[in-house]
Amino acid sequence: MNPETLLHPLLPTQKCSFNCPILDRFLHGGIPCNSITELVSESGCGKTQLCLQLLLSAQLPLSLAASSLYIHSEFPFPLRRLRQLSHSFPSLQNPLDSIFIRPVHSADELFDLLLQLDFSLSNPPKTQLPIKLVVIDSIAALFRSEFDNTPSDLKRRSSLFFKISSKLKSLANRFRLAVVVTNQVVDFVGSDDGLNGLRVGNLGCLYSSGRRVCPALGLSWANCVNSRLFLSKDEEVLSEEKSLVDVGDDGHVQRRTRRQIRVVFAPHLPESSCEFAIAREGVFGIER
Amino acid sequence: MEICGLAVSATQRGKLISAGYTSLSSLSSVSPSDLARDLQTSESQATEILKAASHCGRLDKSDGGHAIVAGAQTAWDMLHEEDLSRRITTSCADLDKILGGGIACKEVTEIGGVPGIGKTQLGIQLAVNVQIPVDFGGLGGKAIYIDTEGSFMAERALQIAEARVEDMSEYHDFVRKNFQVCQVQMQPQDFLKNIFYFRVCSYTEQIAVINYLEKFISEHNDVKVVIIDSVTFHFRQDFEDMALRTRLLSGMALKLMKLANKCRLAVVLLNQVTTKYSDGSFHLTLALGDSWSHACTNRVILYWNGNERYAYIDKSPSLRSTSAPYSVTGKGVRDSASNSKRIKMM
Repeated sequence: MNPETLLHPLLPTQKCSFNCPILDRFLHGGIPCNSITELVSESGCGKTQLCLQLLLSAQLPLSLAASSLYIHSEFPFPLRRLRQLSHSFPSLQNPLDSIFIRPVHSADELFDLLLQLDFSLSNPPKTQLPIKLVVIDSIAALFRSEFDNTPSDLKRRSSLFFKISSKLKSLANRFRLAVVVTNQVVDFVGSDDGLNGLRVGNLGCLYSSGRRVCPALGLSWANCVNSRLFLSKDEEVLSEEKSLVDVGDDGHVQRRTRRQIRVVFAPHLPESSCEFAIAREGVFGIER
Repeated sequence: MEICGLAVSATQRGKLISAGYTSLSSLSSVSPSDLARDLQTSESQATEILKAASHCGRLDKSDGGHAIVAGAQTAWDMLHEEDLSRRITTSCADLDKILGGGIACKEVTEIGGVPGIGKTQLGIQLAVNVQIPVDFGGLGGKAIYIDTEGSFMAERALQIAEARVEDMSEYHDFVRKNFQVCQVQMQPQDFLKNIFYFRVCSYTEQIAVINYLEKFISEHNDVKVVIIDSVTFHFRQDFEDMALRTRLLSGMALKLMKLANKCRLAVVLLNQVTTKYSDGSFHLTLALGDSWSHACTNRVILYWNGNERYAYIDKSPSLRSTSAPYSVTGKGVRDSASNSKRIKMM
């Protein structure tokens, strides 16, 4: 290999669509190929829902038929929900045949899997469609249990972050993959300046369910992803309806969950946010 | 020295004298296009004349016989050269001001900050701005972008280039009204063509590309900036032997410094930040350790101050340690919004 071969022409980045025009417009076309996009949120905000929808929409358009790989560390895998979502993609024939699901139980196992993936992507079986999307749900679950809070463990942990991220990026670059990883949040304790005066991204602090939170895994992991998207939800009391409808003595008020997706940082997206909803048919953006 | 001694054809010499250029010093501060207009010749011929004149001027000075050591230059010559060399603007007036006019050629500038602060945005902005034609106060050069993280996006570069072209055509209209200069407009796509994009996926590839740069630049003239985004990423994994890492890094730093000096270009290194434990508390510092801080001429740290982005000159042999706000907009790096408001109020 020569250094000359590393000179690439500047081509527009391919995007992996969400199959929702509003979300796609918000993300300028979808999840970019050739880079790592991180979805961060507390549990129950819709990370996995978005990932499942991506697994299906990655198989579109039919002319560029592709398959997707879902690596999960949180159990069990929501098979029934995936099947339900697949009904929203009537143009796909047997979409579940093109989704590969692989559980991993530790960070080292994940790295070994990526090495195997390198081999199988370089020598693709002829019967199988090429893989276009890799989802890791979630990276946090692998790293939050295994490591102690000692300097040597933290060092080993961040070294492993960079190893995994570098391998993922190199696979993404060689095989034009879109890579999505999900991450959890930790409660944010401290002053407004952030942890030790550190603030990652363009948002002062992130709020979800009225709590102040920040993405798990710290600064070194933040250096490993290209884009970070934050999902949040907030319970909203529909007060107007309360005054119109007599709710009776039990004090029951109608509540609605407002979900939002925000760009924390991304090389190609401005600071912005978009509301979304999760329905039986899938995840949809809402235009205000 | 008189114009008669200049190594150009007799007709050109005649034209020069009739246009009023009678001494070499009168040629020292004129641009090729202005000279071409005055002499009514092509720009390439004007460039030839200027080359001959600067060559002549150098011979003239070296008559003084200061070259005791081969390859040495007097401080006076170097100062003169530095004054003449143009800097790459960042498109943010405050940032340019604290940088002494922009990113300097022949120097290695390191820029670091937390994820999302705008390092890549600044990198793309510089790759576009280095191409501003000489007539518009730019360098009219090309850029090499070495991407180690995969954050460079062609669509974003195009967006920034489009905003640049808009700004230039505004300036162009203004100039045309006054001087009636005619100028071929650059298209946004042309900006992308002049960015040589290397994507490296390991530290061996990174070192190989840096070793190859000198040859590449000799084949592609006019490269005026080399941007590495980020210099850090591949050096933060898999190094059991930290002494090897230090050796590799300092070897790379030396090569980049030599390249900057020899090819008269600016080297911009983007770096990540990490936490460092000292005196019982954690604080932020640029990655790659203490010995790496010798690798660059200038060091700029980007940080958040409230809701505003700020840049701070952390290390520089010639600049004062000050900070200035900037912002990242759809058009690229620009003046801080609150700052321009203040100016409007005044």
